[in-house]
Amino acid sequence: MKLELGNFYVKEIVFGDETSYSNGILTINKEEALSVVKEDEHITEADLFIVKPGDNVRLVPVKEAIEPRVRVEGGPVFPGVTGDLMQSGNGRTLALKDCSVLVVGKHWGGFQDGLIDMSGEGAKYTYYSQLKNIVLVADTDEEFEKREQQKKNRALRWAGMRLAEYIGSCVKDLEPEELETFELEPITKRPSHENDLPSVVLVLQPQSQMEELGYNDLVYGWDANRMLPTFMHPNEVLDGAIISGSFMPCSSKWSTYDFQNFPMIKRLYEEHGKTLNFLGIIMSNLNVALEQKERAALFVAQMAKSLGADSAIVAEEGYGNPDADFIACIVALEDAGVKTVGLTNECTGRDGASQPLVTLDPKADAIVSCGDVSQLIELPPMETVLGELESLGRDGFAGGWAGDEILGPSVREDGSIIMENNSMFCGDQVVGWSTKTVKEF
Amino acid sequence: MKKAILYINQFFGQIGGEEKADFYPEIREGLVGPAMELQKQLGEDVEVTHTIICGDNYMGSNTEEAIEIILGYLEDKEFDIFFAGPAFRAGRYGSACGHIGQAVKEKFNVPVISSMNEENPGVEMFRKDIYIFKGGASAAAMRKDIKVMAGFGKRLLNGETLLSADEEGYYGRGIRRQMWLEPSVNATDRVIDMLLKKVHGEPFQTELPIPEQDMVPIASPIKDLSKARIAIVNTGGIVPVDNPDRIQSASATRWGKYDISNMDRLESGVFKTIHAGFDPAAANADPNVIVPLDVMEAYEKEGKIGKVHDYFYSTVGTGTTQGEAARMGREMVADLQEANVDGVILVST
Repeated sequence: MKLELGNFYVKEIVFGDETSYSNGILTINKEEALSVVKEDEHITEADLFIVKPGDNVRLVPVKEAIEPRVRVEGGPVFPGVTGDLMQSGNGRTLALKDCSVLVVGKHWGGFQDGLIDMSGEGAKYTYYSQLKNIVLVADTDEEFEKREQQKKNRALRWAGMRLAEYIGSCVKDLEPEELETFELEPITKRPSHENDLPSVVLVLQPQSQMEELGYNDLVYGWDANRMLPTFMHPNEVLDGAIISGSFMPCSSKWSTYDFQNFPMIKRLYEEHGKTLNFLGIIMSNLNVALEQKERAALFVAQMAKSLGADSAIVAEEGYGNPDADFIACIVALEDAGVKTVGLTNECTGRDGASQPLVTLDPKADAIVSCGDVSQLIELPPMETVLGELESLGRDGFAGGWAGDEILGPSVREDGSIIMENNSMFCGDQVVGWSTKTVKEF
Repeated sequence: MKKAILYINQFFGQIGGEEKADFYPEIREGLVGPAMELQKQLGEDVEVTHTIICGDNYMGSNTEEAIEIILGYLEDKEFDIFFAGPAFRAGRYGSACGHIGQAVKEKFNVPVISSMNEENPGVEMFRKDIYIFKGGASAAAMRKDIKVMAGFGKRLLNGETLLSADEEGYYGRGIRRQMWLEPSVNATDRVIDMLLKKVHGEPFQTELPIPEQDMVPIASPIKDLSKARIAIVNTGGIVPVDNPDRIQSASATRWGKYDISNMDRLESGVFKTIHAGFDPAAANADPNVIVPLDVMEAYEKEGKIGKVHDYFYSTVGTGTTQGEAARMGREMVADLQEANVDGVILVST
């Protein structure tokens, strides 16, 4: 399988007459873009904004981030989601780099939504403050979940994907500025200089905790709750086979942009043929029932063993209940003789003294920790808020609250905020960007 | 000008050795013994205003009273930071520094800094409560240990960014917090580095150390339960209402045993729970939900078990360190074995 990602590096985004890309300038016809957003009649209000690093802007409630892309040979960027099913990970896909489409609720947020500050102290808590962003701020008529803490955010998330495809399509006929090639020989057909290296599988545990459909990550449009661990080519993940869900406390979430750019996958590609033999991805999940966790761990260990993996990296999209899957999977792999490294974040509580993962096992002796969801963050007001600041305290954010007897409300009258890292948009960057760790004090 | 107060024992307070270990707590204005070195290391911005001296045995045998006296001395003093020790490997001294440090921190909410050798039992007892720096084995390390304590104290008072326990050199307090790596290294590089080391059998350092698990094998079954003497032990804090052993409601270091030889059940109003980790309403209304004496007495009458032991044993599990729990467990076991108890029902909450 050979994937070519053709990159265009966006230096500036502006609104203009024609949606187009030229010399680093991405121009967007706002009206046309909004008409794409409004193709779904459930979108009741929509507007577009452009923000860049350093802007005095706070975004909340942020629901999703997507990289604008287009398939040169045609077909949906997200097979089985925004169009028919097709194999992803083959051929050429073009991407607008250093920018993302951010989807923000005009009013209503929830447990799974997050916050982004484009400048100041808050900017360091999320990857997306470094990007130029096209911000869709919209509302929907999904009355059934307006006041629900857990929201599927379906209309908004799909609007974001349509918008990303629409914007991405403007480079369809252009020659990319850079071409990244991702290619792995079939496992049994690899040359000896690859085969002789220690082999590694990447085990991903995307979010699948909700029994009800509509909240979990989708794999080729299929709800991750309804699947058993399966073997995937890394290119499929990099090329739109997975979209993010709408469930997990936001700092633990992997956005669709995160999946499209998965740094751990790209890093393994760099090592492939040099220090490691990258076999591929075992796509697992994070279902809540113990039996489902055990079954998934059995499948993962068996697959790793059958593939002849000497080593594995396990990464979980979540914390709390999913820690049980994370540890069970590591233990199963170690028991199968596969040397395993875990990649996760922690929840140590307001005082930092709680057990960092809900289950622990001495066999999980190699863990890279990307952050602590419970860290308190206090931030000054920002000049502009896109979305609705009140949502952070009002709507049951994982890291926000209406009132606290010691800390007061998350959102203060002057626009300053206090929150848990939990609600920083994809803040813990377990996909691999994180430069944070957790240490004992 | 910031102010500091130092706690030391009778020996370093120049009162005397073992024969003066019962020395009643005293507070003196100015610098005594190690306080002089502490002042020197703290420099001009921090003044050590008082030195507290207390005999190690006095603190050991009359802990609550000693703490109360010293807290009384401190009530009208202004101070921004409190030092205790260094205590090196001296067990009683270390424990005294910990006891008073913990109390001062709780009452006055000032940072407390001590120093002890890793073999000092005070480390495990109090590392979660105060900053205990990794110190030398004997007084030969006095200057070095004080320098470290003072250096950290100054940085703390200046509001400087503090590093992790390992980097600063104190025993971790069990508090885990996120931080940005300097220089920055992203997670993918850390994973690859760790993975390659692990795969090649080289030493590597996890970022999330799993606490050592002290697994105890399950005991072999009692052969004839109808002849066995069974005791009830609980960590749910069931005690006579006046809590005669003053078992703490959390982070317990004490346990008690209570005579039930003349009872068929534990009555509400006679027993209660002092456990601070759950809603006590149900246990206070019926203490048998935690110490099931009523059921055990019934089993005894039915002949299912030989005899309910004359005492039940109690402590509190919430926040209690593994080290303290293990010590209390060993002490209880010794007592149970002496009374020829064959089996124990251990009730947790």
